[in-house]
Amino acid sequence: MIKRLVLDVAFFLNTSKKYQTKKRFFYNFLENDNYKYKKYFDMFMIMLVVISVIILISEVKFHINEYFLYFNNYIISILFLIEYLLRLWLSSSVSEIIIKQNEHNTMLGKEFNLFASFLDIVKIKLKYISSARAIIDLLAIVPFFHQLRLLRIFVLFRVFKLFRYARSFQTFSSVLATKKFEFLTLLMFSSIVIFVSSVLIYVMEANNPNSPIDTLYEAVYWSIVTISTVGYGDITPTTDAGRLVAMFVIIAGIAVLAFTTSLVVSAFTEKLDEIKETKMIDDLKKLEQFYIICGYENIAREVAIELSKNNKLIVLDEDVGRIEKAQKDGFTALNYDPGSVDSYRKLNIDMSIQVKAILCLRESDVENVYTALTVRSFNKEIYILSLLMHETNRNKLSFMGVNEILYSKELVGLITKEFVGQPVAFEVIHALRSEYASVNIQEIIITQKILTNYITIEQLHTSEYRLLLLGVYKKIDQSFYFDPNDSTLLEEGDYLLIIGNSIFITEFEKHLHKKIKR
Amino acid sequence: MKISALIFGYNDYASHIAKNVAHKYNNILIFKLDSDAPRKELDSFNIERFDLSDDWSDLKNNYDMENSIAFCVLEDNAQNIFLTISLRAAFKKLNIIALSKNKESANKLSMAGANKVIPLVQATASIITNILEKPIVTEVLHNILYEKSDLKVAQIEIKNHRCFLKDNGDGIYPSEIEWNKKYGILVLSVMHVDGNSEFIFSSKAKHHLIANGDIFVVIGYEADIKKFEKLVGGTL
Repeated sequence: MIKRLVLDVAFFLNTSKKYQTKKRFFYNFLENDNYKYKKYFDMFMIMLVVISVIILISEVKFHINEYFLYFNNYIISILFLIEYLLRLWLSSSVSEIIIKQNEHNTMLGKEFNLFASFLDIVKIKLKYISSARAIIDLLAIVPFFHQLRLLRIFVLFRVFKLFRYARSFQTFSSVLATKKFEFLTLLMFSSIVIFVSSVLIYVMEANNPNSPIDTLYEAVYWSIVTISTVGYGDITPTTDAGRLVAMFVIIAGIAVLAFTTSLVVSAFTEKLDEIKETKMIDDLKKLEQFYIICGYENIAREVAIELSKNNKLIVLDEDVGRIEKAQKDGFTALNYDPGSVDSYRKLNIDMSIQVKAILCLRESDVENVYTALTVRSFNKEIYILSLLMHETNRNKLSFMGVNEILYSKELVGLITKEFVGQPVAFEVIHALRSEYASVNIQEIIITQKILTNYITIEQLHTSEYRLLLLGVYKKIDQSFYFDPNDSTLLEEGDYLLIIGNSIFITEFEKHLHKKIKR
Repeated sequence: MKISALIFGYNDYASHIAKNVAHKYNNILIFKLDSDAPRKELDSFNIERFDLSDDWSDLKNNYDMENSIAFCVLEDNAQNIFLTISLRAAFKKLNIIALSKNKESANKLSMAGANKVIPLVQATASIITNILEKPIVTEVLHNILYEKSDLKVAQIEIKNHRCFLKDNGDGIYPSEIEWNKKYGILVLSVMHVDGNSEFIFSSKAKHHLIANGDIFVVIGYEADIKKFEKLVGGTL
């Protein structure tokens, strides 16, 4: 009966949308670093910790208002307790453990074992409770239960809680964790040196009436102060044998200090690239729209330089040398293989919303086809532009759903045709394209907002802004109309093609979007 | 003496250039080095062998080198530059168009005497950027350039500035005329006798009365451009 009830509840919770949504909501606030409101929660918790510590410090010498003490001992502690319980709840799913146990038993043809499930739950929850973070969280609640002065030291655990909320602390500890074995060795070495030197100094000095070392506690204190190279000088050995021990501890101290410093430095050097990469990926999430350039050879580099003037972009390339070059050029560049789905997954971005286009700019058709195939395997819609190096591979890129294919050899042919046939047109259009002498050609999309003020071409008054209206690209029939009549009606989605000085074009765009008071 | 398009390079570039200049040059010659492997797609063209140490006496004797055009599209940058220098040294007035695969060789090719350098990387990158950033502009300009629309860009010299005089005989500034309404064309820029080209609405062009010898860069339909040409004197 109880078993049935437990199983029903477990299945209900596991499939209940309402319950899962609530759980996700709390998970986002407490654990999901990608959730945009988490930082506000973290800031609130940091504030509580700071208030706690300020109250504790003030209480030492001054009288504190009862309300503050009440707030510190009860309100903050209750908030921390709620947080602790929520984290315990989120650490693992009880319903899932029960369901898994049930499935396991069913598969083996056994009856559901409630006790085994209970043991599993306890084991998993205990594992969380015994983790360093959970212990700190738990101890941070303690002042709520004790008013004893000595136990107020527990408020310091609240300070440790800061580690949970500040990501830089987490990075710092994760970097140091990579050298766990080395730090453990160092700790063992220092402990042995401290132990041996404490015993030796005690044996050498404790019987000497002139020596300040009388107890083993003092001997250990002296050893630690000396090995850490702090050397207060309040306790110093007086006998020759004691001084000999001191020399040994001082030399060992230098070794310990040098070893510790080198460990921290090497841990950071080794992890530096990873830290930078994590930071880059975090920053990507904040970008609204950007291009992904796959490959960083000659053409890709030029495209990146051109596009970066008005856009954000990232470069992906599996070649370390090329990525270093891209980074030197000031671009966000990641040493990821553009031909691997995992690379895009690691970016942790919303491809459909954030990515304007994927540019396959490797100077190898094989690589570009492979990249296009990879992208199309998880996104059918995204705009892909690719370079083509050999005409024979054009159909392969088209087959992969590449939206625009650029064949540079064909381009050379077209350029020469134009140059031979219409050199003037070539030079003029080339100048317009390259924003030569600050005269530029720009397309301006007609929006609903523009239409509220301007309905016909005549109302635009382009010549007042020293601009030439080359024509209008009508959305309705997807055709370009050169020099349209003044009475031509504008429609939403049409494009104006304007030639003029860049500054005047900007002014004109502002004028179009300005609200006219009627 | 034949006017020809001489393409130095036995590769895909040569094939595309040959196809695209065929409408203008009846005689197209593709020059190959001895080391070049045979290519089927180039079989239909006249192929000649050459060596970088040639003294070009055959060319001198058989072709009108002052009016011919040469394309230097060898795969190797150093060879391409050497070829350009050697052609320029032999033919002072030959129109040389050279392909550069990077910025550095573009400068060197200009120094070597090429009249026009096609910077492959920059040109491709610029087209890619334009396709992404200004798709409509790119399409329209592409159609104008590659004759897929009736629109043309032309350079017209003013030989009869009197047709622009006001009724009282005073001169007129280019920006004062509604070119599109009057002539069906748009004037993009004005090149003065001093050789400087100015955008029609630039302050310099606005303060320069139309005079004989000015060169207008106009855009419009072929028929309108021809009419305008007739009116003002002639085209270049």
